Amino acid sequence: MMGLSRGREFFLGRYRMLGRDLTGDESTPQAIRVNPLKIRDAELLEIMSSVGVGLEKLPFLDHGYRVTSSGFSLGSTIEYLLGLYSLQEAASQLPVQALQPGPGDAALDMCSAPGGKTTQMAAYMGNRGSLYAVDSSRERLYAVENNLERCGVTNCLVYHGDAAEIELGRVFQKILLDAPCSGNYVTDPLWFDKRTMRDVEANAERQRRLMSRAMELLEPGGKLLYSTCSLEPEENELNVQWLLENHDAELCPVESPGLPGLTDVFGVELDPSLSRCMRLWPDDAGAQGFFVAKVVKG
Amino acid sequence: MRLLRRLLRELNSGYKVDESKVIRINDQYFALDAEPGSPPERKSLVYAGTYLGRDRRVFEPSAILLGLLSKEQEARKVNVNRETAWLFVCGRDIFQENILSVEGGLSLGSYYLVIFDGWCLGYGRYETVWNSKMIRNYYNIGDFLHREGSTT
Repeated sequence: MMGLSRGREFFLGRYRMLGRDLTGDESTPQAIRVNPLKIRDAELLEIMSSVGVGLEKLPFLDHGYRVTSSGFSLGSTIEYLLGLYSLQEAASQLPVQALQPGPGDAALDMCSAPGGKTTQMAAYMGNRGSLYAVDSSRERLYAVENNLERCGVTNCLVYHGDAAEIELGRVFQKILLDAPCSGNYVTDPLWFDKRTMRDVEANAERQRRLMSRAMELLEPGGKLLYSTCSLEPEENELNVQWLLENHDAELCPVESPGLPGLTDVFGVELDPSLSRCMRLWPDDAGAQGFFVAKVVKG
Repeated sequence: MRLLRRLLRELNSGYKVDESKVIRINDQYFALDAEPGSPPERKSLVYAGTYLGRDRRVFEPSAILLGLLSKEQEARKVNVNRETAWLFVCGRDIFQENILSVEGGLSLGSYYLVIFDGWCLGYGRYETVWNSKMIRNYYNIGDFLHREGSTT
């Protein structure tokens, strides 16, 4: 890993060393998530079909559909404005589905903006229980507020602050930490030009701070869902290994498409339970890359 | 709360706001029911429970409040088709001839919820403009697009 720690060839070379031969040109189709707080899937499919929008069920998602045809933007239809569905990339629907917050739970979304997963959590909770959402960017929280309103969410409290430090005066049964990360090239055409290993390392350090705070905010037996859309093991398996070494926690299996988490990263052997995580590469399942780990606090 | 109560009166709504459960954050009003419950921490709270709307020159109702009001029988409503619905959320007024049906009787100067296929898109006032009778567009959910544009 000597030389310039950036660029297309550098990162694709890393992925090859991790066992994945990628082209760097993979893409992800547009996807939507039906909002069960407002409408049943079948009803929405009928409406969208009547206006010429083709949707195909994504078999690994509860309410996710791939857009197969549409002659107009799906972000400005009457149905979108009514909150009957949200635009949400397929892989990014997996973390909340794996966490399964339920009615009556006290749940926290630690890095909430722009709010797609927050509204998804409220939907799983049936607008029952207490859902807390936090984000450090006041500007991006406006998007969270709009999404909550549009999707008819009524069980959420939203706070502005750094999730690594914020005091909320309570503990939670379920926490989603969809951590700020380096992202990946599938959703950002300029990704290879701007990302460096220094960014990856800085993000990994920030993610560990957030993980530690999440463990403090979790009640014993509570579940933390850690996810990123980064492909870099420093932000994924290596961070979860760090969590297992520094906190009373163990991993639960994640049921979803993709591959088990890596247990050998550049020759370093990790805890075998890391295979309970899920790693989705960009050429898997027609979705962008994603990493999901489900942790239970001891 | 004064502007909210006025809007409810104007729409002939019987919706009851339990003021003991309403909290105000800047110019926005929220109703806090049993779920999610009272926030243990108020500092840096920016949104809480059921968003009702905000004080502007007139009260700007939330899409959530509009949805609640549209379920009430006594609230005045006009029903429209998809084409008119789309023009309304784009900010256009609704000419009387494009109203499919009315609940509560049309009378000049009264306010109406605008309904498409059972969903509330906003509200307006029945007025005469240049010899044409129309529902003047006071507020509609197309506002989400303006807000998204100003926050991204």
